[in-house]
Amino acid sequence: MSLRRSLTARVTLLGGVALMCLWSFFPIYWMIVSSLRPERDLFAPPTLIPTSFDTGFKAYWTLLELTDYPLQFLNSVMVAGAVVVITLLVSVVIAYVVTRYRIPGKTIIVGSMLYAYMFPPMLLAIPLLSIFAGLGLADSLWSVIAAHCTLTIPLGVWLLWGFFKVMPLDLEEAAMVDGCTRAGAFFRVVLPLSLPGIVTVAIFAFLLSWTDYIFAFVLVSSDSQKTLPVGLASILGTFDARWGELMAGATLIALPLLVLFTFLSRYFIQGLAAGAMKG
Amino acid sequence: MKRIRTFSDRALLLAFVAGVSTTLLLILVPVLDAVRLSLYQAESFISAQTWVGLANYTRILSDPTFWHAFGIGLLFAITTIAAQVVLGVLFALLLDQPFPGRPVVRGITVLPYLLPTVVVTVIFQWLLDGGLGLFTVWAEHIGLGRPAWFENPTSAMLILIVVSVWTWTPFVTVCFLAAMQTVPKSLYEAARVDGASAWMRFWHITIPMLAPMLTVTVLLRSIWMFNKFDVVWLLTKGGPLSATEHLPVLAYRRAFSQFDVGGGATVATLSFLVLTVLIAVYFHYFPLEEKEEKS
Repeated sequence: MSLRRSLTARVTLLGGVALMCLWSFFPIYWMIVSSLRPERDLFAPPTLIPTSFDTGFKAYWTLLELTDYPLQFLNSVMVAGAVVVITLLVSVVIAYVVTRYRIPGKTIIVGSMLYAYMFPPMLLAIPLLSIFAGLGLADSLWSVIAAHCTLTIPLGVWLLWGFFKVMPLDLEEAAMVDGCTRAGAFFRVVLPLSLPGIVTVAIFAFLLSWTDYIFAFVLVSSDSQKTLPVGLASILGTFDARWGELMAGATLIALPLLVLFTFLSRYFIQGLAAGAMKG
Repeated sequence: MKRIRTFSDRALLLAFVAGVSTTLLLILVPVLDAVRLSLYQAESFISAQTWVGLANYTRILSDPTFWHAFGIGLLFAITTIAAQVVLGVLFALLLDQPFPGRPVVRGITVLPYLLPTVVVTVIFQWLLDGGLGLFTVWAEHIGLGRPAWFENPTSAMLILIVVSVWTWTPFVTVCFLAAMQTVPKSLYEAARVDGASAWMRFWHITIPMLAPMLTVTVLLRSIWMFNKFDVVWLLTKGGPLSATEHLPVLAYRRAFSQFDVGGGATVATLSFLVLTVLIAVYFHYFPLEEKEEKS
């Protein structure tokens, strides 16, 4: 079979793989390399492989000193953290109850969650702004957290529903026969068994919140309440052509995701194949 | 399946009702509010609103900029989806072959999808920068001069398409690659014995077996590409002039920079209708009950 592949076939395959990697990775490479070039190199015609690196990370320090980036980093961490916690609590309860109890119209509930999940953020963002403005919550991190939950809870319910549904009821019933309460059975049997699903939901809740631009862009206007993606976009508007600093900012947003992906790629791929990332 | 019996059952159920109703409220209220706003005339979200009935709809639907934006959205969605599917399937086929370092390569091909759109657009803006952007410098080297990428309607649209394809192709790759693993290997063996070429095996086995999965992917991608706001807004803001202005950008500009909240809400409601049709198609082909039985 594939062992006796001809030489041309192998060369074509490896050539294709190389092109595919180049296409996928070159822009990321360029981002990182540009953030590490000494300033003078950014004002000369670019070389593909940098001749020298700025070991002082000057672009990063300038960015952190001159902009609200540190504060916005903190905002992003707080928003994403809150979103992950709320999403896990709410979606575990909903998915568990839907699969374990006789709930009238549960298909409609799950269906409307999926429907909601397909919604483009822009269509929700404009009316959400008018609602938050009415509640006096506009321009606050709370409004961003609530808005992100409109993406992540339907996703969490959808993914966990799939997980809880296929988990045999016998296991829990056995635990309950042996004297566990329902809560005990849930914490000792269901939760450990569905840990991969729960990790996947946590990862994607974090990812959706961390990368969101639209909601934060529409709902927040003051610099001190911005999350990183909006912060970066507004730096582009004001700091004209400070590409070293901009690439440093982009790298700082991307870095946590790249690190997470390196360690948890199994969950990422599993979630992606289930359509966990909208967009 | 349990009936409600004990106290902890009741507590759990209470939490469930609270969770479902808050979530649906957070989604339903905005949608209904958008529909309501589309029946009013208002200059901003905090100013007075006057009831105008369907006047916004007649105004928007007879406005050529709406149809222009609709056409731009269709063009953007169709070209990007077609390119994503072709490239994604191609990548999946490559990644299905055995070669050294395959796990790492699989990881690399997913990366563009994980990056926030803002990061992606900033990188491409730097690559296309009029001064020292790498692609600008290359274009000059091969004698194209210094292209003003974002000032030409065609190149602005092309940039949007390429950037979108770059970012969202991995979705198709991952889905197709996962689905390919479900095709029984015996089918390929049988076809090989019968002398079918690699192309014939792909066209007569892989594609028909994966047709339902491809349909879902294309549907989901259409739902999302048709309403993509951030990539367009961050790269071109709908410009030059309105060459890349599609419905989401039009809705945003109406509501926020042209003091026409009613008009913006009308555009949003109309795109919401288009979307509902697409989602209805999705549910028609992939009903939830069927999914419940299968897994």
